Amino acid sequence: MSLRPGEIVLDNATRSFALRHERSRTLKELFVRRGNEAGASRIDALREVCLHVEPGEAVGMVGRNGAGKTSTLRCLAGIVPLDSGRAECGGRTVSLLELGAGFGEDFTGRENILLNGALHGFERGEIEARVDEIVAFSELGDFIDVPVKAYSAGMYLRLGFSIVAHLDAHVLLIDEILAVGDESFQRKCLKRISEQMAAGATLVLVSHDPTAIERVCQRVVVLDGGRVAFDGDTADALLFYHRLLGAEAPREKLRASRGELEVTGLELRDSGGAARHMFRSGESMTVALKLHARTPADRAVVAIEVRDSRGETAFRTDTTAGEIREGAEIEFEVPRLAMLGGDYDLAVGAYDQDAPQVLDRIARFSIAQTSDGEGLVDLRGTWTVGGRSSPEEALRS
Amino acid sequence: MLRYRFLFEQMVRRELRQKYKGSALGVLWYLVNPLVLMGAYALVFSVLWRVVDIPDYPLFLIVGLIVWVFFAQAMLAAAPSLVLNAPLVRKVRFPREAIPASVAAVQLITFLVMLVLVIPVALAVRGTLDPALMLVPLIVALLFCLVLGFSMVASVLHAHYRDVEPVLAAALLPWFFITPIFFRVEDLPGVSDHRWAGDLLEWANPLAPFVRGLRDVIYSGQAPSTGTLLYMLGAGLIALAIGVVVFRRMERDLAVVL
Repeated sequence: MSLRPGEIVLDNATRSFALRHERSRTLKELFVRRGNEAGASRIDALREVCLHVEPGEAVGMVGRNGAGKTSTLRCLAGIVPLDSGRAECGGRTVSLLELGAGFGEDFTGRENILLNGALHGFERGEIEARVDEIVAFSELGDFIDVPVKAYSAGMYLRLGFSIVAHLDAHVLLIDEILAVGDESFQRKCLKRISEQMAAGATLVLVSHDPTAIERVCQRVVVLDGGRVAFDGDTADALLFYHRLLGAEAPREKLRASRGELEVTGLELRDSGGAARHMFRSGESMTVALKLHARTPADRAVVAIEVRDSRGETAFRTDTTAGEIREGAEIEFEVPRLAMLGGDYDLAVGAYDQDAPQVLDRIARFSIAQTSDGEGLVDLRGTWTVGGRSSPEEALRS
Repeated sequence: MLRYRFLFEQMVRRELRQKYKGSALGVLWYLVNPLVLMGAYALVFSVLWRVVDIPDYPLFLIVGLIVWVFFAQAMLAAAPSLVLNAPLVRKVRFPREAIPASVAAVQLITFLVMLVLVIPVALAVRGTLDPALMLVPLIVALLFCLVLGFSMVASVLHAHYRDVEPVLAAALLPWFFITPIFFRVEDLPGVSDHRWAGDLLEWANPLAPFVRGLRDVIYSGQAPSTGTLLYMLGAGLIALAIGVVVFRRMERDLAVVL
């Protein structure tokens, strides 16, 4: 059964790698230690992975290091054969798995465009027709005629991505490379990808950056230990993935926090008291917590932390909740979300004053940007030009 | 194969650029090698030692030497080629044959330049224009098939077993001496007593008929024997077929072993 262009099928895809053998064997070894093969330990990179992607879908792939993300992409791209099962992409597949993998060091940027096109199976005419567009998109200017060995990582990305994004692929496989680029180029890449999706292309994007994934993917696959641990809606999958990461924290800490106090409920509410995950910049938000004490706690502390999409702390506060016998309901009110658009994690924790501080309940929320400005915080400033503040700004404040 | 002409062309350009980067004389350096060898052997065997009595000995030498240098350089460059291009093989899907093929093609270019220089000299020395020269393109094509087949096997074997290159380098030296490059087999003193030894030198070495064939055409101005022509045809096609089969079989796990 042949696939439609843009369709992706993984059917019980299994692949393991030998740890010591296979890599750089010598003829001598071949003759000297023939019988030893079976003793080589193997790592299962993919275990019976099943996945079906429809044309036009954008699928994100997340997982811890070694979970099998890159192996999956390499099998899909046909670079690494499977031990058993099936991994196929319908139509023309273009992959960007490593920065500058297909570059000739001594070639100029322009020459590398031709080389890369050729590597992806394009004819001279097809690729030459796109050169100008690619050069313009990359914004490399005069550097396009300089040998790429003089390029920075960011410039490699600009060129590499610009090429791949203009090859009109049915299936795009991209591995963790967008992180190298600067913010504005990243946004431009994601926009270009979205355009290709709209034209019917299928995308598989591996990334550690949830923002990038949320911006383009409606569906996310979480891989763990070479298996599909979760496959579904982006928000649910990322939440699942965060929990997976949370479960990885050192054991003693978890036991210490679980022992006495636990956050059993966490809800984000708007001014009307309704639960929400989407807020507008400037709105009010209430964090409602339910605590449970297994044994009465005298010196309970409740902490709240807001993290940006890269995991950096944007805000943190805690309070002494005092004596908690069984359960308690605690609220934290934010009168005005002074943040610009983006995705945030809100982590909460309850612990005894002397116990390790563990924030193990996480809720995600997004801020929709309604005002101008870039960055994290909305300072709500007013411009004054020539003694008069602009009417637009005056209106808003 | 035609589908990948553009890729092949790009890979050859990349290979050329990497080889000659920063050297002002570029491709000229690769012409110097056989010329220096020619000078040295002519001096030793014909002037100092006087063991050979072959007319226009330097010309006799150079025809054999350029065949040898083409073969040997292609093998030595092809063997590590897949390993050197490991990032490409591990991260991009494309027909991997293009790598050893582009390496062999770069050596072919040097070989062709050498031929273009040597043929007019040979014509001038002999003073006649022989129709046998028409066979040059055929012989070159068959020699390229042979070199390509050997290069593919060497590259994919070396990717799996990393001591192939040193073994090859060690084998090439004695191989050079048993190939009739600076001597004629029939001139060897021992061969008249042991006819089989002569046959062995002539036919067991796949390179010997190519040296003899090209020398017949360029140096002597006559067509090679039918046997030699058939041998070249067979050797070229069989070597290429074996190269393709071995490469296909062993390339499967290339991205993993590299």
